[in-house]
Amino acid sequence: MTPTARHLAPAAGATVTATTNAMRTPTLETLGLGGVLDLFRRGALPTDAGALVERVFGRANERGSIVISGASGIVGAGKTMQLGSRLEPYGVRTVALDFPGAPDGIGRQYPGLVQAFGRQGAARVMANIIRLTYDGRRLPDELKALKPRFLLEAIPEILEIKREHYRVFREAFPGIEIRSVTSGFPARELGVGIAHPAFPHEINKVYETVESGPSAVPQLLWSLGLIPVPVSDDWSFVLDVLFCGITLAALRAHRATNMPYWKVDKLVRRRVGPNPFRAHDAIGAQGADFLTWSCLHHLDETYGALFTPTPELVERKQTGQNWYPPDHFRPLVDWTLSDAELDDFEVRILGPVYQMTALMLKERRGHLAHVNAIGELCAQFRKGVLVMMREAGPERVVKTVEAYHRLDPAAAKSAWHPESLADMGTPEWQQLYVNAEHDGTVGVVTISRESYGWDVDRELNRALDWLKGARIRRVIVTGDFHLSTQMVGADTAEFFDALDTLDAGLAITNGWSRTARRLWDEFEVSVAMVPGKRCLGGMLELLMHCHYLVAVEDARFGWPEITLPVLPGMEGCHWPLRRSKRDDWPRVLRMLLTGEAVRARDALGWLVDATGPIDEALRTAWDLANGRGSLPRRGLESGVLSEVPNDVPGLEPADSPGSAAGRAAIVACMMQSCAVDATRALPLQAKLAAEFLTSKPCRDGRVGAEAARLRGA
Amino acid sequence: MKATTTMFPRARIPYGTWGSSYFPAWQSSPLAEVNIGQFAGEAMARILGMRRVPKHELEYLVIGSTIPWHWKFWTAPLVASCMGQRIPGYHVEQACATGLQAVLLGGAEVESGSKDVVGVLTFDRTSDSPVGVFPERRSHQRTQTIADVWDNFGFDPATGKAMIAAAGMTARKYKIDRREVDDIAALRYQQYFEAKDSGFLDRVLVPLDLLNVAGRPLGRVDDDTGVRQISLGALRAQRELDTCVTSGTQTHASDGMATLLVTSPEKARELSPRPEIQIRFVGKSEARAEPSLMPEAPALAVRKLLERLGLTVHDVKVAKNHNPFAVNDAVFTKVTGWHWKDLNHTGCSLVWGHPQGPTLTRVLIEALEEAVDLGGGYVLVFGCAAGDVGIAALFEVSEGGRS
Repeated sequence: MTPTARHLAPAAGATVTATTNAMRTPTLETLGLGGVLDLFRRGALPTDAGALVERVFGRANERGSIVISGASGIVGAGKTMQLGSRLEPYGVRTVALDFPGAPDGIGRQYPGLVQAFGRQGAARVMANIIRLTYDGRRLPDELKALKPRFLLEAIPEILEIKREHYRVFREAFPGIEIRSVTSGFPARELGVGIAHPAFPHEINKVYETVESGPSAVPQLLWSLGLIPVPVSDDWSFVLDVLFCGITLAALRAHRATNMPYWKVDKLVRRRVGPNPFRAHDAIGAQGADFLTWSCLHHLDETYGALFTPTPELVERKQTGQNWYPPDHFRPLVDWTLSDAELDDFEVRILGPVYQMTALMLKERRGHLAHVNAIGELCAQFRKGVLVMMREAGPERVVKTVEAYHRLDPAAAKSAWHPESLADMGTPEWQQLYVNAEHDGTVGVVTISRESYGWDVDRELNRALDWLKGARIRRVIVTGDFHLSTQMVGADTAEFFDALDTLDAGLAITNGWSRTARRLWDEFEVSVAMVPGKRCLGGMLELLMHCHYLVAVEDARFGWPEITLPVLPGMEGCHWPLRRSKRDDWPRVLRMLLTGEAVRARDALGWLVDATGPIDEALRTAWDLANGRGSLPRRGLESGVLSEVPNDVPGLEPADSPGSAAGRAAIVACMMQSCAVDATRALPLQAKLAAEFLTSKPCRDGRVGAEAARLRGA
Repeated sequence: MKATTTMFPRARIPYGTWGSSYFPAWQSSPLAEVNIGQFAGEAMARILGMRRVPKHELEYLVIGSTIPWHWKFWTAPLVASCMGQRIPGYHVEQACATGLQAVLLGGAEVESGSKDVVGVLTFDRTSDSPVGVFPERRSHQRTQTIADVWDNFGFDPATGKAMIAAAGMTARKYKIDRREVDDIAALRYQQYFEAKDSGFLDRVLVPLDLLNVAGRPLGRVDDDTGVRQISLGALRAQRELDTCVTSGTQTHASDGMATLLVTSPEKARELSPRPEIQIRFVGKSEARAEPSLMPEAPALAVRKLLERLGLTVHDVKVAKNHNPFAVNDAVFTKVTGWHWKDLNHTGCSLVWGHPQGPTLTRVLIEALEEAVDLGGGYVLVFGCAAGDVGIAALFEVSEGGRS
């Protein structure tokens, strides 16, 4: 790959820095916040919440409030909690507005609030929420005193009612910022911007945003720790095309084959990830069915029969009946499918999803990393839709869609854009999880997926190759400061095949370890920078291979593998010992054997090299990468390690046979891989970790259980 | 042969859209543990799916069963919901004639012109059958408790006699030889196992996997469990329970379901994998024998039907019956002159068991498949039912005008 000009996503107001090259556009640029390398160069985040709150809600002495209308509904109540808790520290009051008879959705959120913030914190957040009612026409008089500056509209999906709602607010409060949580209507239809949040609303951080021009709103969301994702102003946005789309595909599969919804759900889950019908029931079939119908109905009107809702959905938009049978009719007859039936099913599900995605690509609905991530972060896709298509390759995608058209000829008459798959070889398609930027001297590799898997591994290797091709010898490895807010470790779904075959496990443990080694071996300086709240498991194993590990001070580090149990097979059983003093070995061993996490500031000197507030951590990482600063580099003992402890004094007994077996295997792996030099240790620990994946304790553990659940569909 | 008219000119049975579960003997399979109405509804969806018939094609559902099941008050609409299709319908019950009567009523529904696709679904679970408690002011106990299956078999309230007694009485009336009855049973077993070995039954019977309440496998119903090869010598050696009745020459209770569709001619062509095959309803009759002569009743019904239609036994290509006692077949030969060797080429309920409701539906499906194999012709299906009743119906299978 060669350096490319930055690709600007259609909805982005990107900032291009002339001195920076990137494999593809950093997603942060779509928010107008520059690239990730810029953050390090600047030694500071591009903006802060205080300044943005002031821009949106006014100065402290005249601070206005946020109004959430439809606040008792599922979306409104969730967002009242999420935004209310984040804006409360800035003195922004939250007004929860709804009809007098609306059921109390906010009270139901309180236990979750207590769980997140404790009783005092929850009480503080709740005290900042003012509940008002209105009749839908006339705003309550008390509102004026609260100086509404921002309306987040979460009322029913009826265009005329929404427009009238905005009119009433604009008339009463000229200049008020209004955003709709609509899942379907484009901004051009509504006349306001979009902040479409993903379920579950109280905790999911993702908002699809549509802005008609420069706006502080998406940046404000970002600065509050949320994940705004700019998308184009088309019907139903990316999330709902994907989620309603796969629901429709599932409905059509049901309609064609008679397969009950629960079984369709299981097979969709096994192949793609989501349970579309269960999700509707969990959200609340009454509302969710209507929303799905509404999205599909409008997509149908715009794009044709590919999106036509089935009669089953049309019926349920009225009745709100659950898709799953009641408890007393738990499914009785299983559907054991032949290979031919399974092939047919796959075409019925993937065909329409591929076709719909090709349409979104044609319309350039967003940065490809965003389109891909939305499926994973918001619609339960195990792998993003673009990764699925990339894995299949353009020819197979086209064949699948064509096979689907033979089953559903009407869909062939709808929008189908195979030409939008032509760019699959470009970095925009190939680097969906990992990007790289450089300024000619220092490279920054950003990982936007929270869990490590084969796709991340391949993309990371390509990114490292790209930097080396540009003669970059100094590198920072970090998150993307946008989609990924933490690093949680390996994607355990990648281990499923390794439960059955040693070779599959060896491919993982050898392959991923060798990728990690590249950070140590192939760069003059490598710096890991952990900007989020945690770095665990495989991600920690990856980053510990950097010459330096820098983190924000509250970040937590750990190897929770023992809780599964699996072995930390990316050299976790010997590498941290080789890089720490003998006195610190019991701490490493304790982490490995208990899965307990440590804070960055408590791991200084033996796991972490520097910590501090975010700005300081950015500066430190940048200085280290540029060869500045006086921080000594922790060495690596590459020879045989002697007197490695095989126990930790005071260690609590294992809480299960699986955990005991895991501990024994970790200790054995540690002893054996420390008894050889670092070069021989890699394949040795890889072999032991892979062997443990095929063991009974592992198959009986959480990975085995999850695999069995998925395969049992 | 006298030219015949059809009883329901508008009604057809679309070939190849049918199916039946296996009929495991009572208490021998996971079916002993399920709500049979729910099972039947879900199994029908699966069978139609395998036959590539979308269930949304159904407009109406006629269900048939004889043993009460939980929530039976809600009848066909509930079973349809378990199938995943909200359609109306009703429940029909005529003891062991249910499986045929339900099909005939399905034909009547289509004939009425108000529906084009009617599902017929029959089922029963004899295992763990419910116990009814009836306030009876005229009985000295004041309250009577009846185990639905066995107490009914053992006592016909109209005659005071058991069904097995009816078989013995009929055998005595016709002076049936025990040796002949054993020969009949031996042949029936042979016919069944030959059909099974040939793969014929695989076209009719559908293996079904069942789940427990936790969604885990409960077991697979893929055999008429309880049916074992039995030799003529073993039959001869069995103790006689009543005249000509041994355990080997009578059927056994079992569980199961069976389903088929009745449609307009247009829909039959649309839904059948072999649209050139037409299956018509020709005629039907019922008869009631004298008290406690139930095995004679089907023969009377057949004789009446053929006489009315102007047909003889020679006009019929396939004949198949529900024969809970081998005595039935011996008596049939005595009454009609039709040799019992010419019946039941692919097995019968004497061998594969008797779940009551679906028994005659499976008999019909097997008979229609056999007729298609033979290139079409008249198909006669008949059987006896509680109350000394016999039922018979004639169908015509034609292939592209050939029959």
